[in-house]
Amino acid sequence: MRTSRTLGIIMIAPAATMIFLFYLMPAILTGIFAMTNMSTATGISGGVYQVTQSAANRLQDDMPELAAGIAEPRFVIDDEGLAALEALKLKPGYVAELRGQHVGAVFASRREAERVIKALKDRPSTREVKQISDLFNRSVLNTRFETRDALIGSLEKLGFTMTPEEQDKVARVTYTGWVWTTDNFRVIASSPDMAKIFFNTAFYVAVTLMLFNVSYALFLAVTTHYMPPATASVFRAVWLLPRITPVVIYVLMWKWLTWDNGFISMFLGQFGVPPKNYLLDNAYNAWFFVILINGFIGASMGMLVFSSAIKAIPQTHFHASEVDGASRWQQIRYIILPQLRWPILFVTCYQTLSLLASFNEILLSTRGGPGRATEVWSLAAYHTALNNYTGNLEYGLGAALALVLVVIGIVLSLIYLRIFRYDTLISKPLIED
Amino acid sequence: MRILLDKFSKSFGSTKVIEAMDLEVGSGEMLALLGPSGCGKSTTLFAICGIHRPTAGRILFGDRDVTNLPSQERNVGVVFQSYALYPHMTVEENIGFPLTVRRLPASDIKRRVAEISALVHIDNLLGRRPSQLSGGQQQRVALARALIRRPDVLLLDEPLANLDAKLRLEMRSEIRRLQKETGITAILVTHDQVEAMSMCDRIAIMKEGEIVQIATPSEMYNDPRSAFVAGFLGNPPISFLKGKALGGAFVSDDGNFRLPLGSLRDIGDGRALTLGIRPEHFGPDGDLAIEGKVVFAETQGRENLYDVVLADGSVLRSIQPVRDDVKLGDCVRWNLSSEAAFVFAEDGRRL
Repeated sequence: MRTSRTLGIIMIAPAATMIFLFYLMPAILTGIFAMTNMSTATGISGGVYQVTQSAANRLQDDMPELAAGIAEPRFVIDDEGLAALEALKLKPGYVAELRGQHVGAVFASRREAERVIKALKDRPSTREVKQISDLFNRSVLNTRFETRDALIGSLEKLGFTMTPEEQDKVARVTYTGWVWTTDNFRVIASSPDMAKIFFNTAFYVAVTLMLFNVSYALFLAVTTHYMPPATASVFRAVWLLPRITPVVIYVLMWKWLTWDNGFISMFLGQFGVPPKNYLLDNAYNAWFFVILINGFIGASMGMLVFSSAIKAIPQTHFHASEVDGASRWQQIRYIILPQLRWPILFVTCYQTLSLLASFNEILLSTRGGPGRATEVWSLAAYHTALNNYTGNLEYGLGAALALVLVVIGIVLSLIYLRIFRYDTLISKPLIED
Repeated sequence: MRILLDKFSKSFGSTKVIEAMDLEVGSGEMLALLGPSGCGKSTTLFAICGIHRPTAGRILFGDRDVTNLPSQERNVGVVFQSYALYPHMTVEENIGFPLTVRRLPASDIKRRVAEISALVHIDNLLGRRPSQLSGGQQQRVALARALIRRPDVLLLDEPLANLDAKLRLEMRSEIRRLQKETGITAILVTHDQVEAMSMCDRIAIMKEGEIVQIATPSEMYNDPRSAFVAGFLGNPPISFLKGKALGGAFVSDDGNFRLPLGSLRDIGDGRALTLGIRPEHFGPDGDLAIEGKVVFAETQGRENLYDVVLADGSVLRSIQPVRDDVKLGDCVRWNLSSEAAFVFAEDGRRL
């Protein structure tokens, strides 16, 4: 008993490892990344604390005084500076006097510090004043601190007194690494760009799915069903071509068709129509071609699934319905379509998820253009996380976009299962005699 | 309505299934197309209902030539072997389907479905789906669907093949009852001679695409035209003895057994003959004794079946009222009724 249980675990271990590494981990990591602000700038390991001008700007609203202060240089007469001054081997009186009378003094500007240095009894020259004041320059601007304590300690030494909340705030804005945040979702929810992309996606998925992946595929499957078998196979093979052609080549064909020196332009040129890029001419054209490209590729799967499902309907059902007086249209309406409910559900579900996630045809054809007219959600995620124009790849935001897509996919699947009443499809028959 | 097949031929590609078949089924008659599998009986049925188009010849319903009409316009009801019930429709929708596709008002459909389902005793199952029905219930639904639009012809393709023995018995009489009550012309395709004999007015026995004999069940049983017909009808089946004619009598190959041929005594000596003897004509009663060894014994409750091997190795079957004095391996001396034996020529023709 015990050994067999251990054996079971051993047997399942390779599969379990695979599942964990290659199926669960990507999803988990997407979830984790989505809750961070990771980007090229933050890196994916830890960061440091650095008071930059932009960090100071961010503090401007809450702590204007501090923001102004840390952006300016500060001069502090401290032991460190005095030791450096001794090492310069200038007149020893400078060190003695500064140590005697000014240790701990903090000056908010170079001018104030230099006034004190100039007033030293040994009268340093202007050049020496500059030299000395540099030694006491304790500005934090553009200084890196490895830890939070180093940053706060340094600021306190410079005379900035902060409450613990203010310390938190300063630490937050000066940290250069990634942090946990839900900002990504806030950005997605509030950005008008994302709203536009959302509606683009909904339009793209709904139209491609309904017109091509289901309707057109059904049309092909039903028409081939009524053809002689040999003819039907030829047609099916032809309709599979867009699927089996490498997508780069296939999209290239469409580009040749639509470019300003492509076939359409050349043909219309015969009639004096000036050439133009029909693909990227305007948003309507772009959508038209994007949906056609995806539709012809996507319809092949539905066609195959529906064809085999129709083949699985017993031949006698067709005979019986003919004898019962059903016309061909009534056969489709009463015999074929009702028995295709499950395949239609499957194709709808599968293709919705596939369309939501796929962007390669759009990327290859319009790149989301013109402007961002044909930018869909997954393409936006790709642009955000992997191919940003500005060069700052926002992994965190991209992951959040992907996560939203996953959630939408799951929700849609559940809705489909309800609409198609999946529970009745798999319910047990109540056979009795 | 009368059905007439006139020189009907059907081939699939280069395979000729049926050639120049003539068949007439009288109005209100129930005819069985009986034959082994592959004999073309289902092909004939499918041609009558329009699923297959004849390669040549005509099909007439009454005086109407329907040869080139699609099934939709023929007004036939068909019960398929698998019943072909639509799994996604309820019983009510299944039965009403022929009317639904004719766009009859829903209330009419409902009324007629109620009538016909009462006739076949399934009016309590209308809300179920086919998968929730037993075989016999599915059978009744298929019958109701075939009958609902009052077809000119009812065609039954092995309708009882998928039922268990008890249901088969029940549905046999049920289908016959419905056929008689509705007065419909019906054709039953079957390979089961008991079905054909018990349900039909006449039987057409088919072999390799040809009708060998058409007759009423009793005529066919008592007066078979060939060894094939004699062998197909009767359960337990007839047994055959090989031999030849010699001096106006049948003599078995080993010469041990001799049966006077009576009216056929003029057959030339040496002609090869086959004797057909039904099991009920071999037993304690009879006029011609024959010896053999019991190699098979089976009781059916009311009757016993025996297989008896004769000296030349041929087997005679016997069916007798129950007795318990004969056991496996016993040597018996039983009698034949020489008058009841059929004599067949070498090619199977009855003499």
